[in-house]
Amino acid sequence: MTMTESPPATETASSVSSPAVAGLYEALTTTDHKRIGRLWLRSGALMLIGAVVLGVLLGIERLDSDSTDVFGGENAFFQMWALYRIGLALLVAAPLFIGLATVIVPMQVGSTNIAFPRAALAAAWGFLIGAAIMIASVLATGGWGAVDQASAAERDAVALTLVGMGLVVISLLLASLSIATTVVSMRVKGMTLLRTPLFAWSMLVAASVWLLTLPVLLANLLVAYVDLHNGPGTFGGGLSGDLSIYAQIAWVVEQPQVYAFAIPVLGVLGSIVPVAAGVRAARHGLSMGLIGFFGLLSVGAWAQPYFQPTNDALVRYDEKFVFIAFGLAAILPILGSLGGAADTLFRGRSNVDGLPAAHLLGALGGAVLLLAGTAAGVARVVEPLELGDRITVSGVMNLVLFAAIASAIAGIWFWAPKIGGHQLSPMLGRGASLAVVGGAVLLGTAQIVNGFFETSNSPLVAPVEDAADALNVVSLIGIVLIGLGVLDLVAALAMAMRKGETGADDPWGGQSLEWSTVTPPPAGNFAEAPALVISEAPLLDDAPEEPSDEGEES
Amino acid sequence: MTATATGLPSPEVARPRTVLVGTMFASATAFMAFVGVVLVYVSSRAEARADGAEWFADGTVELGPSGFIFATLILSIFTVQWAVQAVNNDDRKNALVALALSGLFGAAVFNQLWFIINDSGFALSANNAQFMFFVVLGTFVVFMISAVAFVVLTFLRALIGQFGPRKADSVAAAAFYWNTVVAMYAIAWYVIFVTK
Repeated sequence: MTMTESPPATETASSVSSPAVAGLYEALTTTDHKRIGRLWLRSGALMLIGAVVLGVLLGIERLDSDSTDVFGGENAFFQMWALYRIGLALLVAAPLFIGLATVIVPMQVGSTNIAFPRAALAAAWGFLIGAAIMIASVLATGGWGAVDQASAAERDAVALTLVGMGLVVISLLLASLSIATTVVSMRVKGMTLLRTPLFAWSMLVAASVWLLTLPVLLANLLVAYVDLHNGPGTFGGGLSGDLSIYAQIAWVVEQPQVYAFAIPVLGVLGSIVPVAAGVRAARHGLSMGLIGFFGLLSVGAWAQPYFQPTNDALVRYDEKFVFIAFGLAAILPILGSLGGAADTLFRGRSNVDGLPAAHLLGALGGAVLLLAGTAAGVARVVEPLELGDRITVSGVMNLVLFAAIASAIAGIWFWAPKIGGHQLSPMLGRGASLAVVGGAVLLGTAQIVNGFFETSNSPLVAPVEDAADALNVVSLIGIVLIGLGVLDLVAALAMAMRKGETGADDPWGGQSLEWSTVTPPPAGNFAEAPALVISEAPLLDDAPEEPSDEGEES
Repeated sequence: MTATATGLPSPEVARPRTVLVGTMFASATAFMAFVGVVLVYVSSRAEARADGAEWFADGTVELGPSGFIFATLILSIFTVQWAVQAVNNDDRKNALVALALSGLFGAAVFNQLWFIINDSGFALSANNAQFMFFVVLGTFVVFMISAVAFVVLTFLRALIGQFGPRKADSVAAAAFYWNTVVAMYAIAWYVIFVTK
């Protein structure tokens, strides 16, 4: 064995006796992509619960704009508001998709493992540590720049927040690198890039966009960190007003960059719909092109305050043609993908005749949310509407990021047998999908409409119209509904683990290679190497085009 | 499609150039991080000039020494590519010499950068221009250190005979990352020392 080879999974914990210690040893040293992916998924789910609780508290706080009873002060309110927004993107949406991809993508492309498994494991643990530092430091009066002048202790806490966030970003980048390399260089023979399953392809596009844009966020954090300690105080270190660090990094949760976290929504849709319909996807190549186009339009690192001149002689980025064009065009690939999905469903002998499967509901719901988010994004770039600094920005963000979360939940239901070896309750799945999608619609739409009543995006600016208060109540109902959906997810996972039944190998009549192996997949994924791939749906090449109904019954 | 895979031989899983592909992604990531810092410099400078303020005082940032660094790095491109070619030709001696020279050029770059920073007399907290000067060059130093470390590691692996014509990916990967770091300096050199 050379230094670079991964040890077999069976080698671990031979020298430890206690099951707990053995489990910890396994978790810290495993090179099995399925275990690493599950670690990401657990982390993402934990952060999702935290984000929803925080969202509910923020919703309650917004009900009374005259006081800050819940958080006990304007600064704490602002920091928690910022934590919710950044956390939803970096601590929830991205990790959930990375977890799904770490488990599923290697199997989809016929590989025995992920590329650079040790780097993937380091990324998973680095993410957890970074997230813990980030959250703890925000709770310890840190965050992304206080609204008042900060004390020395607060500056230290802010510095710690930047370190934690930097570690989170580096971990996301490392995991993205592993996934992208797996898709590019570890596909089974015969699987050309054009025959790559849509989820794997969407993760390649998403990982590439993240690898090209999140380093710019890292650069922002670096500049702010150095400025905070030794700089002139004009690059975030000033910690007040327009110079706050949050103002500099908010681009990551605003359009077009926020769309980057939802790129895999189209891949999940493209992987689930043909299976639900029991036919090959219509125009696979076109779907790949649409996902690539959406990825291109979501590259948004250039649209940020660091590059935004305050001098009137210079053109602001949100007045430039490219920003407006990106905003207008982003809706097109979503419309195209939904059209393709509808075409596939109509052509197929779908099992949508009765109650649609949970994963289909979630995949379609996620795509519709993304459509709503990009449509609201169109309104955002239309200059006469003047929605740029209004709460509409938060509406777009919530719709897009909850589209990603709903889609990831659909993916968890769909691929559950390959992730944990169990199938999840279809009824709870439908409940979770409907609650998350419905809640996100209420939350996002209320905020978008609220923007037309001139409500500011800043949580510290009181609404100017009475209607805003009613819309804040609707937003609160939305996030509570999302919370119920998350509870559904937790209950389904707990029930599946308690029952302990092993899921079927291929409960849905799958079309890509992950369904050709047993449940749960063994170390190395496949008992024997997959047959030569000759199309984008290899399991349909040697099987009749009949879907299985086993999934709903088992 | 009605074609069937039944009866076809089971192929091996392809593993082409995983290290090289991963390094390419990592290089793109590193490049974008550096570009992100440089663009903060550029936008800050544009803002200052639009306000009619001076960016660097005359004579504080010299083109000459920075040009020597650029020339050194251009030479290093040839040596790292020489190493790749040598490994492909199974010429271990040439590969070791080329990698050692590349590492030496890297050390020379650190030496020259140290001179430039000392010669400038800048302070990190003085103003935006001097702050960004340090941040851009400091970020470059971090990436340069990682490139030198990559080359040294490759040298050590070559020394114990881990590479050959069929196992040249790691050397090609090190060369790719090195060239990316040279491209970073080219940008920094143009932005800071040429256009000031």
